Amino acid sequence: MKYKLLSLCIAAGVLSLTSCDKKLDVEPQQNIDATTAFQNDQDVNSAMVGCYSLLGTGQLYGTNLFLLADLLASNNAAGSTSVDRYLTWQGTFQGQRQVYSKTMTRDNSEASRVWIQAYRAINNANIVIANLGKVSDAGLRAQLEGEALFVRGVMHFELVRLYGLQWGATPSNTQLGVVIRTKPITNEADAAERVARATVADVYTQVINDLTSASAKLPDDNGTRADKFTALAFLSRVYLQKADYTNALNAANQVINSNKYRLNASVAAVFSNKNTAESIFEIQQNDQNNAGQTNDGMATFFASITGIGRGDARVPANFPTVYPAGDLRSTEWYYAGRSARPGTYCAKWRSFSQNLPVIRIAEMYLTRAECNVRLGSNVGATPAADLAQVRNTTRTGTTAPAVPTLADVLNERYIELAFEGVRIHDVRRLNLNVGTRPWNSNQLVMPIPAREVDATSGVVAQNPGY
Amino acid sequence: MRKLFLLLLSIVTICNVWAQSKEVSGKVTDASSGAPLEGVAVTPKGSKTGGALTLSDGSFKLSVPSATKILTFTYIGYASIDLPVGSTPMTVKLTADDKSLSEVVVVGYGTKIKKEVTSSVARVTSKEFANLPLPSFEQALQGRAAGVFINSGSGKLGQGLNIRVRGISSISANQQPFVVIDGVPVVSQALGTATEPDNPLASINPDDIESIEVLKDAAAAAIYGSRASNGVLLVTTKSGKQGKTKVSAGVFGGWSDPTRKAEFLNAAQYRELFGAAADNVGLDAESEFIDNTGTNDWASNNDVNWADQAFQKGSIQQYNVSVTGGDAKTRFLVSGSWNDQVGIIIGNRLTRGTGRLNVEHSISKKVKIGANLSLNQTNNFRVPSDNAFSNPLQLNALPPIQPLIDPTTGLNNQNTLYYNNLIELEGSNRNLNKIYRTISNAFVEWNVAPGLTLRNQAGIDFYYLRESRFLGRRTLDGAPEGISNEDQTTSSIFTNTFTANWNKAFADKHNIDVLAGAEYQKGIVTGASVEGRAFPSDRFTRIASAAIISNGSSTETEYTFVSYFARANYKFLNRYLLGASFRVDGSSRFGKENRYGAFPALSAGWILSEENFLKNSKWLSFLKVRTSYGRTGNAEIGNFSSRTLYGANAYADLAGIVTSSIGDTKLSWESTDQFDLGIDFGFLNNRISGEIDFFTKKTKDLLLNSPLPATNGFTSITKNIGDMKNTGWEFVLNATIIQNKNFRWTSSFNISTYKNEITRLVAPVPPGQRTLGRLAVGAPYGQFFGRKYMGVDPANGDALYLGAGGVITNNYNAAIDTVLGNPNPDFYGGWNNRFSYKNFDLDIQCQFVSGGDVYNVAGFFQSVNGDYFDNQTVDQMNYWKKPGDVTDIPQPRLYEGNGAGKSSRWIQDGSYFRVKSVNLGYNLPRKLLQNIKFESVRVYVAAQNLLTFTKYKGYDPEVNTTYVGNINLGHDFYTPPQARTITIGVNVGL
Repeated sequence: MKYKLLSLCIAAGVLSLTSCDKKLDVEPQQNIDATTAFQNDQDVNSAMVGCYSLLGTGQLYGTNLFLLADLLASNNAAGSTSVDRYLTWQGTFQGQRQVYSKTMTRDNSEASRVWIQAYRAINNANIVIANLGKVSDAGLRAQLEGEALFVRGVMHFELVRLYGLQWGATPSNTQLGVVIRTKPITNEADAAERVARATVADVYTQVINDLTSASAKLPDDNGTRADKFTALAFLSRVYLQKADYTNALNAANQVINSNKYRLNASVAAVFSNKNTAESIFEIQQNDQNNAGQTNDGMATFFASITGIGRGDARVPANFPTVYPAGDLRSTEWYYAGRSARPGTYCAKWRSFSQNLPVIRIAEMYLTRAECNVRLGSNVGATPAADLAQVRNTTRTGTTAPAVPTLADVLNERYIELAFEGVRIHDVRRLNLNVGTRPWNSNQLVMPIPAREVDATSGVVAQNPGY
Repeated sequence: MRKLFLLLLSIVTICNVWAQSKEVSGKVTDASSGAPLEGVAVTPKGSKTGGALTLSDGSFKLSVPSATKILTFTYIGYASIDLPVGSTPMTVKLTADDKSLSEVVVVGYGTKIKKEVTSSVARVTSKEFANLPLPSFEQALQGRAAGVFINSGSGKLGQGLNIRVRGISSISANQQPFVVIDGVPVVSQALGTATEPDNPLASINPDDIESIEVLKDAAAAAIYGSRASNGVLLVTTKSGKQGKTKVSAGVFGGWSDPTRKAEFLNAAQYRELFGAAADNVGLDAESEFIDNTGTNDWASNNDVNWADQAFQKGSIQQYNVSVTGGDAKTRFLVSGSWNDQVGIIIGNRLTRGTGRLNVEHSISKKVKIGANLSLNQTNNFRVPSDNAFSNPLQLNALPPIQPLIDPTTGLNNQNTLYYNNLIELEGSNRNLNKIYRTISNAFVEWNVAPGLTLRNQAGIDFYYLRESRFLGRRTLDGAPEGISNEDQTTSSIFTNTFTANWNKAFADKHNIDVLAGAEYQKGIVTGASVEGRAFPSDRFTRIASAAIISNGSSTETEYTFVSYFARANYKFLNRYLLGASFRVDGSSRFGKENRYGAFPALSAGWILSEENFLKNSKWLSFLKVRTSYGRTGNAEIGNFSSRTLYGANAYADLAGIVTSSIGDTKLSWESTDQFDLGIDFGFLNNRISGEIDFFTKKTKDLLLNSPLPATNGFTSITKNIGDMKNTGWEFVLNATIIQNKNFRWTSSFNISTYKNEITRLVAPVPPGQRTLGRLAVGAPYGQFFGRKYMGVDPANGDALYLGAGGVITNNYNAAIDTVLGNPNPDFYGGWNNRFSYKNFDLDIQCQFVSGGDVYNVAGFFQSVNGDYFDNQTVDQMNYWKKPGDVTDIPQPRLYEGNGAGKSSRWIQDGSYFRVKSVNLGYNLPRKLLQNIKFESVRVYVAAQNLLTFTKYKGYDPEVNTTYVGNINLGHDFYTPPQARTITIGVNVGL
């Protein structure tokens, strides 16, 4: 009896080991396989949300597209109390420190992170476009196409601004821009393709095509996601960057005339509250999902408040004096560091879970005003009226000049958009200097990541000076 | 294994009664003491059947085929002898043979007489590491097992170690050996969420272990197929023995302190250096200090040794008891232990409670069943990662002029240059890993016919880890209102193994031993975590009290293996040995187009000393040459690396998906072909014995991330595209140097090398921003590569570097990258000496590493001639002061980075010689014991890491910070040193 039982046990043991091929088929639980990923409207919509989630990471609008643009604009050679210092990097991270001190190397970590993530977002947008056929709802299809084009256009724009010499640096803008990608990549063979950098002129053409097409397909209102006017607002930025004032004016004017947006009564509200009327596009964050609280995140670097922030990015102590006397912005937007580090800090970025406004209606007023001044026109409103939208007794406790000059408008832009990732791009298009470095200095252009040059055996060429 | 051997014998004895037989009886005693020997195997020569074991009085009685002329007497620790069957009762005297080659070693799915082994196996037994204060058992291999290189990495308790068997055989897959405990593959890799690896093996009680075998060459390891490229550790736990029930108990306790400390500036030196640094660039040190810290401590009279604050007096205590015994039907071992170690780093502690029941029962003459059950509980109070501001060692960066206690609050000073992490130890803050683990198995073994045994074993390693952290409102991460994390990870590995074993002797000349088997394995890892923020006060630390549940997650991942294996050994004339093994592994991890891998091995040995021309040699007692060749694999390639996948990525409240990886459908294991040539020898009746091994390991299909143009949305794809080679040799020499009535001195020395060379890569992997380790074809793994520091220009105090064409330059950017060093050791080994004099015994084990450069990543902060306000190491005081000064320390220039670039400036030789463990004991004399009715009492004093000799100027040369990734070997970054532990203890036997 015992033996029969034992034979059975052993036989069972042996049996458990036979016909095991099926046991080798194990599916992942936190991922889905590419072959079955897209089946319906919801899947493609999820992929679109995924694109936004990438925009919100620390490599892109979660931190770097703001922070790096402002660190590039700082004159580290100026004294620590000089306003010209703009933004001091006092953190231990070497990548940011190199950007700050204009000693970037080709293996700069931040240059690499931005590049990689921007193209990841572009590929995900291209995948959405490639799978639009799986979307049955025509309205949703148009919206998703518009959003994907928006992401693709905006990312190419951010890349060409950081990694290429400013528009206008050569007569026909044949200086190298960045690689243009419009093809979805989902298999090994495609992923190995090597594509060279296009000229700055070609990249701008691609960006303008994408954003124009996006603005046509996007709905007027799309919740917190990109809509028609988001695309137009970016289009206005793009045109302004290439000094195409007529088109910049036109796009900004359309955004303002949509009447969807108005400046908040409080200058702090757009940063402390979410999705206020002032905001055209902002990165959505919450307690769970944000760009980071230790190694990434705007508040992480900019804030120096008990429990929040490393206080790595500091503002000169007298920076608030660039504002007119009594201007609420000088007190609402700056504070003395507490806890992490002493010094003066920018209050725009002070909470891990705050939304991050990428483009605000204030900028549209300032762009319209600048273009009108330059073109001698009054499209939409007079420059004085637009400036008064931004600076007035209710909002800032001060008043705007009655007859603003170009310098007045540009100064307003400088103080209104300070530390919002705009400064270096203005320095470039306005042909200003950063310290002794002129706007078209090679050291103000980020290096193409060494890994990219290596991975393409040089097909993607390095920038001069690296 | 002795257990197994004896039981096999007893079974076959009882169940094989020959028709034609005769009775033989006698008594076996120890030749020197005359004491009866129990459990000696008595078998007719040349037969594995028909044997018997001696009883406790040394007597034996068996019936053997009437044709039997010679009986073989075998006993572990004694030389076997063959005696003609003469008049009974026989009187047999066995001579103790200290390093007897008749020793049995554990091999995959079985055991083997060491003499007949044709592969390379290192063996460390319990007596070599008993009573040592080991943080985890695998540390016992350090300096004891040739060919096994161990770097403890840091002095943190419960931290993962680096174990490398015969060099480095992988880049991105696992590099650690496969660990099997009593036939059950176990988790040996970190499961926790922390940056630095936790060590699951720390939950195992070293006192439960009988032996650790390291399978080094392919012939030994290939039976484990795709898991074996990094070598295999076979751990065998103790088991019960037939005979009188024995109780043994032990207790020890002791203290520990750091092996070494680095020295930092005091307040006066600090002011001098930074005063000069500021002066030299036209700044005022005091106002810069105020600007950077917001304090006026520059003007204070504080003089704080912050570096010392990281340390505390450690302690250790351990209690263990075990009971063994049994009869012919049932054998058992019951053990329990409690171990409590307080680390030398503030906040670090490890406690371990273990229980075990190993039992075996013979149901009948032919069938036995058994089970090994263990249950362990470990609490590990962990220290933050080396690169965290909360790492206590980072306190050494704080200026000595800043006060420890804030005079206004009376609490730990919060107004310091960097975070004062002493705050983390305040109040209710907690960083605790709680582990419950069982590694258990049950088996049934059926001796179906003479020489044929079937066995089925089911085993499980179930591991439950709960990481619980709370940081209050005064801490860096916990501010402003506290943060609490709970992470739970469970891992279970289920293994079912079926084996059939058949052995037979033919014509007194041929011995055949065949094993065939099949195995199924399934591993599942699940995780669940939750994070809460905002607590009413620091007295509330559990997430139930949190206002915000800020994070939560659950995950699950799984893999399976299905394997078939076979092995055959053939012995001819007791001296010609042949072995072959073959394993087929299928795994869910391998790409769909590449599901099954085959791993064969062949070996041969020739025992020359059995040949007639050497048999009667007076001086040569044993000589064997052996060689093997075979293939092993490495399947630690990630569970789903072969797939193109999308993963979830949230955008605030919206759920999205993004591309997460691009896969290669042909992805497979890495494979290693290894050749081994070895010689085992013994001279003067094995008074001198040893082993020499040469090996070459060629690993191909290394799993590497092949870089892709990032413009395509992916940065890399995992492919089998690299090759690597390890060559080396090992030498082991054991000798009984002095042996007389009262004094005995035995010595064991081993030395090993490995030379690693990467032979194929898709693209070199350059050093990171802070690190120097790289991978390049023709270079050893982790070679240091970067800018070469050339000292200081005596004329102006500029740091100098090597430029193109050998030109020396003060322009860091004009310097060229060049080979700077090698973190791999030139050679390493150990030297063990054991003395006994009357009732005293002394065991001194030394361990050494020669070569192996260490790069101090923190040099950029702490040895950089006052570039920023971090406190500096004392050597920086020798800075350049005036033209003509010849020094290695550049002129201090605050913020200017003079000599601050990553360079060979912070590379040092990491060679060291360590008196690793010392154990001095006294055995109470027998007479006294008889009076107090004890079997044995031993009191001892022991030390671990007693002395360290090195030129390294940092904390400890045995260092390997892990946050820099596995390519960067020998990197030091505020890494705590090893502990020196002194213990006293007593063991009693009843």
